[in-house]
Amino acid sequence: MIALLGPEASWYLGVAAFLFATGALGVLLRRNPLIVLLSLEIMLNGGNLALIGFARNLGDGGGQIFALAVMAVAASEVVVGLGLIVALNRKRVTLDVDRLNTLRG
Amino acid sequence: MVWGAWICLLSPLAAACLITLGGQRLSRRGAGYLATAACFVAFGGAVASFIGLLGRDGSQREILSTAWTWITGGSYQSGLSILIDPLSVFMMLIVSGVGALIVWYSVGYMDGDTEERRYFAYMSLFVFSMLLLVQGGNLLLLLAGWGMVGLSSYLLIGFWHERPSAIAAAKKAFVMNAIGDATMALAFFLLIEKANSLDFGILGGQYSSTVANLVALGLLGGAVAKSAQIPLHTWLPDAMEGPTPVSALIHAATMVTAGVYLIVRTHAIFEQAPKIADLAAGLGALTLLLAGLIALVQVDIKRVIAYSTMSQIGYMFLGAGIGSYPNAMFHLMTHAFFKALLFMAAGIVIHALINEQDIRKMGGLRQLSPKTYWGFLIGSLALVGIFPFAGFFSKDSILAAAMAKGTYGYILWAAGLAGTFLTGLYTFRLLFLVFWGEPSAFVREHFHALGRDVIAVSLAVPVGVLAVLSIVGGWIQFSPWWHPVTTWLQTVAEPTVTPESWQEWLSIALSLLLGLSGIGVAWLIYGARRLAVPRLPFAQRTLEHKFYFDEAYDALFYTPAVSLANLLRRGVEQPLIADSGRDLGDDTRDLGGLVARAQTGLLRTYALAIASSVAVLAIVFVVVK
Amino acid sequence: MTTLLICLPLAAALILWLLPLNPISAGSLALLAALAEVGVWIQLLVRYDFTKGGLQFSDQHVWFKDLNASYHVGVYGFSVWLIGLTVVVMAAAIAYGVWAGRERARAYMGLMLFLTGAIVGVFTAQDLLLFYAFFEAMLIPLYVLVGVWGGPGRMGATLKFVLYTMAGSLLMLASIVVYGLSEHTFDLTKIGQSSSQWIFLGFVAAFAIKAPLFPLHGWLPDAYRESSPEVAAVLSGVVSKAAVYGFLRIAVAKFPQPVHDFRAPILALAAVGLIYGSLLAFRAPDLRGVIAYSSLAQMGLITMGVFAVNDLGLDGSVLQMVNHGLVSATMFLLAGMVERRALTGELGRLGGMARGRPALATVLLTTGVIALAVPLSSAFAGEFLILAGIFQRGWGWSVAGAVAIVLAAMYVLRLVSAVLHREVGPSVSDSALDLRPAELGVTVPLLACLLALSIWPAAITQHSFRGDHGAADVAAQFK
Repeated sequence: MIALLGPEASWYLGVAAFLFATGALGVLLRRNPLIVLLSLEIMLNGGNLALIGFARNLGDGGGQIFALAVMAVAASEVVVGLGLIVALNRKRVTLDVDRLNTLRG
Repeated sequence: MVWGAWICLLSPLAAACLITLGGQRLSRRGAGYLATAACFVAFGGAVASFIGLLGRDGSQREILSTAWTWITGGSYQSGLSILIDPLSVFMMLIVSGVGALIVWYSVGYMDGDTEERRYFAYMSLFVFSMLLLVQGGNLLLLLAGWGMVGLSSYLLIGFWHERPSAIAAAKKAFVMNAIGDATMALAFFLLIEKANSLDFGILGGQYSSTVANLVALGLLGGAVAKSAQIPLHTWLPDAMEGPTPVSALIHAATMVTAGVYLIVRTHAIFEQAPKIADLAAGLGALTLLLAGLIALVQVDIKRVIAYSTMSQIGYMFLGAGIGSYPNAMFHLMTHAFFKALLFMAAGIVIHALINEQDIRKMGGLRQLSPKTYWGFLIGSLALVGIFPFAGFFSKDSILAAAMAKGTYGYILWAAGLAGTFLTGLYTFRLLFLVFWGEPSAFVREHFHALGRDVIAVSLAVPVGVLAVLSIVGGWIQFSPWWHPVTTWLQTVAEPTVTPESWQEWLSIALSLLLGLSGIGVAWLIYGARRLAVPRLPFAQRTLEHKFYFDEAYDALFYTPAVSLANLLRRGVEQPLIADSGRDLGDDTRDLGGLVARAQTGLLRTYALAIASSVAVLAIVFVVVK
Repeated sequence: MTTLLICLPLAAALILWLLPLNPISAGSLALLAALAEVGVWIQLLVRYDFTKGGLQFSDQHVWFKDLNASYHVGVYGFSVWLIGLTVVVMAAAIAYGVWAGRERARAYMGLMLFLTGAIVGVFTAQDLLLFYAFFEAMLIPLYVLVGVWGGPGRMGATLKFVLYTMAGSLLMLASIVVYGLSEHTFDLTKIGQSSSQWIFLGFVAAFAIKAPLFPLHGWLPDAYRESSPEVAAVLSGVVSKAAVYGFLRIAVAKFPQPVHDFRAPILALAAVGLIYGSLLAFRAPDLRGVIAYSSLAQMGLITMGVFAVNDLGLDGSVLQMVNHGLVSATMFLLAGMVERRALTGELGRLGGMARGRPALATVLLTTGVIALAVPLSSAFAGEFLILAGIFQRGWGWSVAGAVAIVLAAMYVLRLVSAVLHREVGPSVSDSALDLRPAELGVTVPLLACLLALSIWPAAITQHSFRGDHGAADVAAQFK
């Protein structure tokens, strides 16, 4: 059995939860879409951390592979999001999530 | 004989159909003669049936002839059948005979009216309906004839349909008759439940007293409505809106007597429900008094005669209610003669004065129309019941029978005698006002005599025939000494009371006395003008308003019905239909709007929704696991 | 023969829709098809063996094998009369439509013929799914007929009509599905009886809306007012009878215990509808309103007859269905004819039309008199039987019926007088003609049928249900 160095899984989960919560709050409370994207990234990273922590604990490499996949997806999604925000900026639309509500019922 | 009876029934119907389909191709006079001929053919058929029955002895005198099964309901069935027995033949002769005379009279009376064909089609339809009523072989067909008679009455009262008053009167007559139809139908439903048949034979069956009372009450309701007895009498005076021959035929001689026929035909049930029979007699007595009183103040010549009819039918109801069936039918017969005569004579007067009916404008017509005066006089004497005219023989025997019925009978007897006095009074008031004295200014200006043409013949001959019948028609039965009518009808309706000889003679004497005194008082006031008309303003007003029955019915039934209908329309129908659909649409739209509020368009809301739902689901799964 | 009855009008409709005919040819073809349909029906009438009774002329083909649903059609004694009513009224309606001239005649006539086929299908379907299919198929042409060719308020009327009917039909579908799946067959001649109240109520809901039964009649006044006269005639004369047929064939025949349990409330609603409809007809301000509310009243009466579940009631209701269908159709056609002349249906603006118009007066008066069930008419026979039957379930119901007799006299006479009598109304001009030969040709045959039935009502009452079992053993009728 390989000895596990470092803190226990709960610490990793705690940090991951903290990251996730911060990111979530940022998504819900910030008005600038760029910051929302940023917060989204933080959320994703929190998730990644949880994955890696469990991978380390259970000795399953699958978690790390999954985390890599999540990073790839996060990167692509950021590309799309940033592209949208740049386009919005070019059209001189306010970069305020609360004002962007024309897709309303 | 059976053929005779069917021909009697169907020939007026054939005439009605031919006139309707013929339309303009038939001349107006031609329609009249066709109708008259059909009625005489019917009379011939009735006579043939009569002779046929005479040839058989008593117990054999009941023939039921069925054409086909009319209606079925599981094991219940009623056929299209006619009954030939002494009672039905008796009525057939009266209906077709008097009917034929009156239709013939109409040819002259209605001459010149643009709608003559329609009139004769309706008259033929009426004669057919009345014959169906009296010939019907079971209760259902009797009800069919009953309803059709009501329909014909509606059509004929409202004949001059441009007049709103005529249409209103026609509707009133029909609706009141429909009330009677409804009560009869309820009685029939009860009979079907108990006996599963509506043949006449079931009436003799044993029923519990509740059932018998209810059936009799239902039948009485119909009889009261059709015969214009209190309380369903208000339609008859209004029915005078129709042409005079209509009043003569329908509202004197035939339709209104159908109630009496019904009671006699269904006497078996009434004998099982003695309280209802007493009620019938009591209503008859009440009607004969009240109608007599109202007739004292009427100023329209036809209305006086109408109330007189109501009063006389009261006598018949009295007779039938106490169980003196043959006498009631005998009075029906003589009444048909003299009442039709009175109406027809009145019609000639009205015609001569160019449709004026107010007797206050008349006077002195005795000199100008002597023959009409004689006819009217004969009819009046017959009505009051003066010997030797027809009414004398028939009315008194009813009174005598009432005496034989115990204490209640004595009350009825007293009412009947009082009625005799009133009859004398109002009848001769009418005669003196119209015919005696000097011709009034109105009469001098407007009177135009009849010529000697075919119209005059058609008007005069029937009147003459009826005048003769009003004189001799009563001689066919004189209760103390000879009574072929009673014997004839005995197999069908055995009288349950037989007065003693002294009762007969006492009634005859008193009734004659009171009738003559009524005539005497009328002469004093209206003929010789020696006494002034008594001034009793309250009584006068009550009588003029016909005891406020019309107003009461309006307030009790008509106005509430209208109000209820309006209330339902505003309170139920409007919110239910118009508003329910609109409200449903509005509510759905509002609900949609409510749900659409979730689509804020704000990113954060959606994110929050996703986050919270995931959280909730996660907790649920964890807990459930 | 049964399939021919259903498919003949459907085929004719298809031909009309496909071929580019001019209006006159289209109308003639439609009329020809309608009359041919009547001819086929007469054949059916003559060849149906009334002494044997039961299901005859049946056709059966497999449809959904695993569900045990099949295309199963056939006729019973009383269905023969209902089909007869359908084809005769539709022929008269199509004839009137041809004479009156409708825009886009091909589409219109095609829809009417399609409707004929659907209604005949309802009366002959012996499989629940097939019944439902035809029941819904009735709705589609009506939706278009009212919505396109109707009066000014037609959109609202159509919407209400469709929503109401749809709601009921969906409940019925639920009932059908549950019932059929639980019995493992959808064939009405084989399906067993059920005592489930919910399934029963599902069916009742659909039929109560269509009949209609108070208080689910919200769609009725507008639909009858806004449709063209012949569509109103078909709606009130025939389509409402499909609902009562459903009551009889499905609700009463297959659910004896729920019928017993719910008899009192259903009779109460029917009785209330009878009185309520009569009162509202008495005060309705327009021709169509009077006829519409009187229709509500009569359907209440007929429903009472069905739920009496005895010989008298059932025979009476079949007879009265045919009577009311004919009377109502004639009245609506006459109302249409009057409205054509006066350009309004408001009773206050009519009057005095009898003068110079003997044909109109005679036809309207005769129809009205039969409508109020004057004794000796067939309507009287039907009403008498129904009330005698319902009397045996409780005398109070018959008293309500008796009151309705008087009310019927009041509202019919009011209608007749308002149109024909008294002074000439403001909308009636001298140039309004009497009934033309074509109009007489449409109404007189209907009246002749009524008069023939008045002479011999036993034609229907003796030939509807199998004598040996008696109508009251409804279940045994349909084996």
